[in-house]
Amino acid sequence: MTDQAAPTVAQEDHREGMDYLETPLSRLVTLWIPLIIIMVVLLFPFYWMGLTAVKPNNELIDLETTNPLWTWNPTLSHIYVLLFETAYPTWLWNTMSVAIGATILSLIASVGAAYAIVRIKYRGANWVGGAIFLAYLVPPSILFIPLATIIVQYGLFDTPFALILTYPTILIPFSTWLLMGYFKTIPFELEECALIDGATRWQILTKIVLPLAIPGLISAFIFCFTLCWNEYIYALTFISNADNKTVPVAIVTSFTDGDVFRWGSIMAGALAGSLPLVILYAFFVEHYVAAMTGAVKE
Amino acid sequence: MAEIGLDRPVERRETSGAWARLQTNRNWLGFWFMLPAAAFLVLFLAYPLGLGVYLSFTDTRIGRDGAWVGLENYEWLMGMAPIADFFGTIANELFGTRFAISGDTVFWLSVFNTLLYTIVASVIKFAVGLYLALLLNRHMPFKAIIRAVVLIPFIVPTVLSAIAFWWIFDTQFSILTWMLQGIGLVAADHQIAWLGEETLARASVIFANIWRGVPFIAITLLAGLQTVPGSLYEAAVIDGATRWQMFKHITYPLLTPIIAVVMTFSVLFTFTDFQLIWVLTRGGPVNSTHLMATLSYQRAILGGYLGEGAAISTAMIPFLLAAIMFSWFGLQRRKWQHGEGND
Amino acid sequence: MISRRSLLKSTAALGTAMAGVNLVGWAKAWAATEMLNTPEDGATLQLLRWKRFVQSEEDSFLKLVAAFTEATGVPVEVLNESLDDVQPKASVAANVDQGPDMFWGLYSLPHLFAEKCLDVSDVCGHIGQKYGGWAPSAETYGKSGDKWIAMPVAYNANLINYRISAIEEAGFSEIPGDTEGFLELNKALKGIGKPGGMALGFASGDGNAWTHWCLWSHGGNLVDENDNVVINSPETEAALTYAKALYDAWIPGTASWNDAFNNKAFLAEEVFLTNNGVSIYAAAKRNAAEGDAKAAEIAEDMDHAFWPIGPAGSPTEFHICYPLLGMTYTKYPSAVKAFMQFMMEAENYQPWLEGAVAYLSHSYAAGDDFAFWGNDPKLAAAKPAAYRTLTAGGKGSVGEKAASALADFVVLSMIANACSGRATPADAMKVAERQAQRIYR
Repeated sequence: MTDQAAPTVAQEDHREGMDYLETPLSRLVTLWIPLIIIMVVLLFPFYWMGLTAVKPNNELIDLETTNPLWTWNPTLSHIYVLLFETAYPTWLWNTMSVAIGATILSLIASVGAAYAIVRIKYRGANWVGGAIFLAYLVPPSILFIPLATIIVQYGLFDTPFALILTYPTILIPFSTWLLMGYFKTIPFELEECALIDGATRWQILTKIVLPLAIPGLISAFIFCFTLCWNEYIYALTFISNADNKTVPVAIVTSFTDGDVFRWGSIMAGALAGSLPLVILYAFFVEHYVAAMTGAVKE
Repeated sequence: MAEIGLDRPVERRETSGAWARLQTNRNWLGFWFMLPAAAFLVLFLAYPLGLGVYLSFTDTRIGRDGAWVGLENYEWLMGMAPIADFFGTIANELFGTRFAISGDTVFWLSVFNTLLYTIVASVIKFAVGLYLALLLNRHMPFKAIIRAVVLIPFIVPTVLSAIAFWWIFDTQFSILTWMLQGIGLVAADHQIAWLGEETLARASVIFANIWRGVPFIAITLLAGLQTVPGSLYEAAVIDGATRWQMFKHITYPLLTPIIAVVMTFSVLFTFTDFQLIWVLTRGGPVNSTHLMATLSYQRAILGGYLGEGAAISTAMIPFLLAAIMFSWFGLQRRKWQHGEGND
Repeated sequence: MISRRSLLKSTAALGTAMAGVNLVGWAKAWAATEMLNTPEDGATLQLLRWKRFVQSEEDSFLKLVAAFTEATGVPVEVLNESLDDVQPKASVAANVDQGPDMFWGLYSLPHLFAEKCLDVSDVCGHIGQKYGGWAPSAETYGKSGDKWIAMPVAYNANLINYRISAIEEAGFSEIPGDTEGFLELNKALKGIGKPGGMALGFASGDGNAWTHWCLWSHGGNLVDENDNVVINSPETEAALTYAKALYDAWIPGTASWNDAFNNKAFLAEEVFLTNNGVSIYAAAKRNAAEGDAKAAEIAEDMDHAFWPIGPAGSPTEFHICYPLLGMTYTKYPSAVKAFMQFMMEAENYQPWLEGAVAYLSHSYAAGDDFAFWGNDPKLAAAKPAAYRTLTAGGKGSVGEKAASALADFVVLSMIANACSGRATPADAMKVAERQAQRIYR
């Protein structure tokens, strides 16, 4: 592990020095055409989501008389239904508060663990580090059945805490891993000086290490937040009251009138449920790439 | 505290004298810092993992405690000759043979489906992801925007994009069918049952999984690519290397550790996927897309057989360990990041 | 003072008009004189129900709930879940002794955890006695041994939905009454490019309904009267062969259909015959009222029919029962029972069923006299649902085992396996037999 993670990405990316040798035509064939095809495939479902959310009902199931790829009669009725006739704002709020709660808990735990493993270097730190990494590899789909019974034993069933307290098991391993990479990049000398000046470990952590690791914390935050937002199987199993549901679970179950799916509102909900994350990433994508660089390279 | 009174160390290795003096107090300190993370992982991960294994040896049902039944659940699922069943199922599915299965055919089918899903999706995700990463690593305008856009499928919650796919793969109102009809590949009155025909349903869910997984792999590999020193390429260009040679001899070797990590993640998450399948097919048609994770939900929560569901979940563990070992020994050429003497 | 009997008669005669106007006033009187169980002080209830299929049904239901709250002071919170999700929620709640006080699910739900269901014998006995007796199937669904564990509220008739013009074009004047003729009809429909199709995905409602009809109509059964597994039989094999023939005549893709797909396909004129409740018709009429010309045409051109009778020789229909159960963990058992009783009193029951526009059918005898059944001849086929249906488990007991077999889709999977060609009928039967033997061990 070298002692720089984030700065690497800030460098310009003239990695493949042959670009200037290319003709525009070969560049078109080898770069732009494949790139555009991949991008179109990656983005089409979102276009379709958005379009469905504003299409009038009769056009949704009419592929013959109108061009399904566009609509001239956009309607806000699906979105209206979503916002005013369902508990969607509640679900959004639930998802948000669960995600933030779980993320904060995870970050606190991860900062402690990462710092302890990287810097305190207590006996067995390497083993614990390895164990934490392995914990990341234990998937929720193995755990949900026993967890359901445990959640009940702890008296958490059907409360937001069922999720706030279980999500960290998914989040801590990776964010610990990510933060370890960051802590390693902080020069020892800084800490040593502080120790000499009489600072405690706690002061070192809060006054020196954390401020320097802010990019890492942001990345870990984004990562945790995304995973929380995305989680499905725990939310599906541990939450039963509609008032406590999270967006992913609620969307799937709440827009069916018995056996009629209200596709417009389902799509509007899916889109609205994705927006907070997309916005978050729009601001922090470079950060995220930087963090990944920091985490994966050694 | 004991930290006071350190000598200024002459080198930055923690083995230097000043750091060594902390040794006695260090273990305690480490314990306190570790405590929150450890508490979470023990209470909500290690304990349930153990409990899950225990449940799989009982006949626990929803609504009442079970009794210890030993291997009964496993015998019911895997039959008397698991190895023969395993290969028999593979042969039945791939070559249309009709070997008799002694265990639960649906269970074995779900094992087959899971392996098929994981292997096909992972291989394609890796190939497309690497290709996309190489494309994105080139010099181009709007680079930041393009990267942000590529990442969208990864950040949007899987369930929500799965819903979009559900509608795209609809039998009667599929936009895909409409487009294929438009370009004349499919007869105008013919509807394609994307999720209704076994092979097609498998292909459709695998496609959705690839779609979702490629951005993560591409962006991670891109991050790796950017750590490759540009000087290496410049030297190679001077030596007259072709693009392929550069990839083979510079990019790929340097990227291998990252590939190992990212593919381990990818394989694990594909293997244990639940949401995509649950939204798109719930395991149908005719169980042909049931993964082990969805089957365990079906049996445990819907059917009420918690013990049997736990047994299916537990049966995933050996496969997961195999995948981890494979990446550890097969691809891994460096130490993990948890600090085994690499600083 | 009007007597109970005459009140019932007058409501039956006048329909909703009277009951609607005076609902709250009547409810208060009811609470004072008729209510068997006085709700606990400070009681509140949560009821988790299947998400409505017909808007007007939900409207009437909420009106009924509001009247109950008005009369008894017990607030009732109604939660909705899609049909497929009620059971897992109820199962988990039963497991953890925590959750809504009442669950309103389908088929044999209460029997999945009979010991967790509140004993509601007094209320069910009273309602049955007052309204001419329960339908036999309702009694089977509601009782575990001698004890009522759930109120068999209503049935959702699952009927053949078809386009009149399509079957005429195919050379039929009505849905044939026998299975052979029905197969011919399906083949003919395919021949004219207006195929039928029924759900073969994991669809609790429509999928189970038609596959069980298919099995039973050929004399096949999962278990016999003593719960011995008898699925592996020539009759079952005949049923599987028949199902495959039907499947081949249908529109491709039915293997992935859930309960919603056939509605959508029927309204989009992709299929011209399917099985469903009367909700397609309701949706078509609703859309027609909003000015959708195509929907108006569909509503005009469609009708419902009973299921054909097969070699078994008697009707073998499988309609969905919606039992309402209280959980033993509830803090307010009397309030739960009061609500059940309130709901089933004809003054509430009839307008509510009317709101469901025949999507739901009554489960006690007095319901035969409800006036709204005469409103629309196209809905008449739904009326005797409770009396024509067999129960989950077929010949066997309606209990935890039958509920498990249904939840595990044993019959549906067997038929789907055979239809799709994934297994020969013999293999499909063997798989189902093995599964059933474990469930019924």
